[in-house]
Amino acid sequence: MTDATTHAVELVGPNERTETVRVEEGETIVDAAERADVALPYGCLYGACGTCTAELLDGEVCHQASPRALKQASRDAGYVLPCIATPETDCRLRVGYGIQAEVVGTPWK
Amino acid sequence: MSTDDHSHGTEQSGHEHHEVEGPGYPTPAAMRTESGREETAYVMAPRVGMENDGPDFVGVVDLDPTSDTYSELIDAVEMPNNGDELHHFGWNACSSSCHAEGLARQYLVVPGQRSSRIHVIDAEDPRDPEMVTVIEPEEVFEHDLSAPHTVHCVPGGKIVISMLGDANGELPGGFLQLDQEDFSIDGHWEADRGDMEMNYDYWYQPRHDVMISSEWAAPNTYYPGFDLDDVEAGNYGDSIHIWSWDDREHIQTLEFGEQGQIPLEVRMSHNPEETQGYIGAALSSNIIRFYEESDGTWDWDVVIDEEPREHEDWDMPVPPLITDILLSLDDQYLFFSNWLHGDVRMYDVSDAGNPRLVDRVWAGGLFGDRQTVQGEEIRGAPQMLQLSRDGKRLYWTTSLFSSWDNQFFPDIATDGSLMLKADVYPDEGRMELDEEFLVDFGDAPGGPARAHEIRWPGGDCTSDVWQ
Repeated sequence: MTDATTHAVELVGPNERTETVRVEEGETIVDAAERADVALPYGCLYGACGTCTAELLDGEVCHQASPRALKQASRDAGYVLPCIATPETDCRLRVGYGIQAEVVGTPWK
Repeated sequence: MSTDDHSHGTEQSGHEHHEVEGPGYPTPAAMRTESGREETAYVMAPRVGMENDGPDFVGVVDLDPTSDTYSELIDAVEMPNNGDELHHFGWNACSSSCHAEGLARQYLVVPGQRSSRIHVIDAEDPRDPEMVTVIEPEEVFEHDLSAPHTVHCVPGGKIVISMLGDANGELPGGFLQLDQEDFSIDGHWEADRGDMEMNYDYWYQPRHDVMISSEWAAPNTYYPGFDLDDVEAGNYGDSIHIWSWDDREHIQTLEFGEQGQIPLEVRMSHNPEETQGYIGAALSSNIIRFYEESDGTWDWDVVIDEEPREHEDWDMPVPPLITDILLSLDDQYLFFSNWLHGDVRMYDVSDAGNPRLVDRVWAGGLFGDRQTVQGEEIRGAPQMLQLSRDGKRLYWTTSLFSSWDNQFFPDIATDGSLMLKADVYPDEGRMELDEEFLVDFGDAPGGPARAHEIRWPGGDCTSDVWQ
């Protein structure tokens, strides 16, 4: 699937629906998804807001700017920001609008 | 005169500059009594963080009770991009430019809170608004500012927007000034921000050379959601800032501490003679009154102190969370929303330092005894308020902010939020939910949306300042 300059990123959405997008070298996952007309939530596009927060299931990504929206514990737990992340390898990501609230936490018992 | 008129004739008003027509009304009482009933509402409708993907839009709601489409969303101006998070908005001109001949209240300035993109919509025809200009985020970041919030038109042909962060979404914020004619960016409004770092809302009163700004947090703190660790770390605001309007300089900080955590909306009296106002401290759930002392310094008192309440599903007592406050145009009534508890309250503030609770309406939230309107579940709770100019109809929407909605009222993300209304009887000091009125943004064309700030063509209780 992968050639020298692109990586396959499998996006696992709510209800286990998956889409695979090919991400060019230096391209963010959100940009690649937009290009492929695959819906991904996003807001600020510079890593401040967390709307796009996703969980990295397999593979490696590199943030092109500081992922300010994520606290260190969330980064350590494998959460990433697709709006500023480019894949280093083929990847699987769990994506969807609900992950942001899951990361910050809810007040419910 | 129809409500939707953007200008006013002043020949009967007794205003001293009676030959000049401008974009507003000579006094708050003139707007209250001469403007007529609101027939149209513009409502910010973000889709950020929703289950369905799509751009935010400015919704046009029919408020004319004689119309076949009364209480319906009749038009939507979609944004050209996704992810903006439309939140608050304002006019190119208002009553602060009452004497400016040739100037019209025609353009809505509509910022994206998350994208930092600023849209300009031509609303010359109130029922057919059109996008005319888009200021891209890069142009804003060039001034090391982000996260545009409150838009006020100000005298001298300018528009000033409070900005909550720097170009990286960190502190400090500041104020961005636009030109009223061509919407080009002039740069920062402030000449010296002193020890102000956090920003949120602001109000100004040129007659008394004052501007008051409040504090939410750095964008990278509040954007991702509400985290109690950030409160404990001191990452949320607890102060307001007094500025010299003429010199554009910070002159005093009023630090509230625990009594005033997350001070949001700033509302000064509409009467330009007054040197006082109110602010809602969201997390502390206090209403704080600020006022000028005889020596020219400013002081403050907590005038309404609400209590948190135990809820069986919560680990901690639930604060009411005062997320919006509003003063009637005659400065007699203060309304505010308790977004977590689920009520909107009405206080008599004719004795400004001693507010008196006169009525409340429960609708949704964690404690509302009413959880449906017309059989529709009330998703969220009373939040952004807008009052008719005559003070007889109070409207509100139920969404706060996408990431906070998704933590506290997650149903909004799948089914959208609502716009509701209460009939207000100012002469009797009471209000009642109008069960005939419901705008369900879950039914919006193109998919469900949130609903946030509300404005009327022709100006409203939170748009205009009288010099």
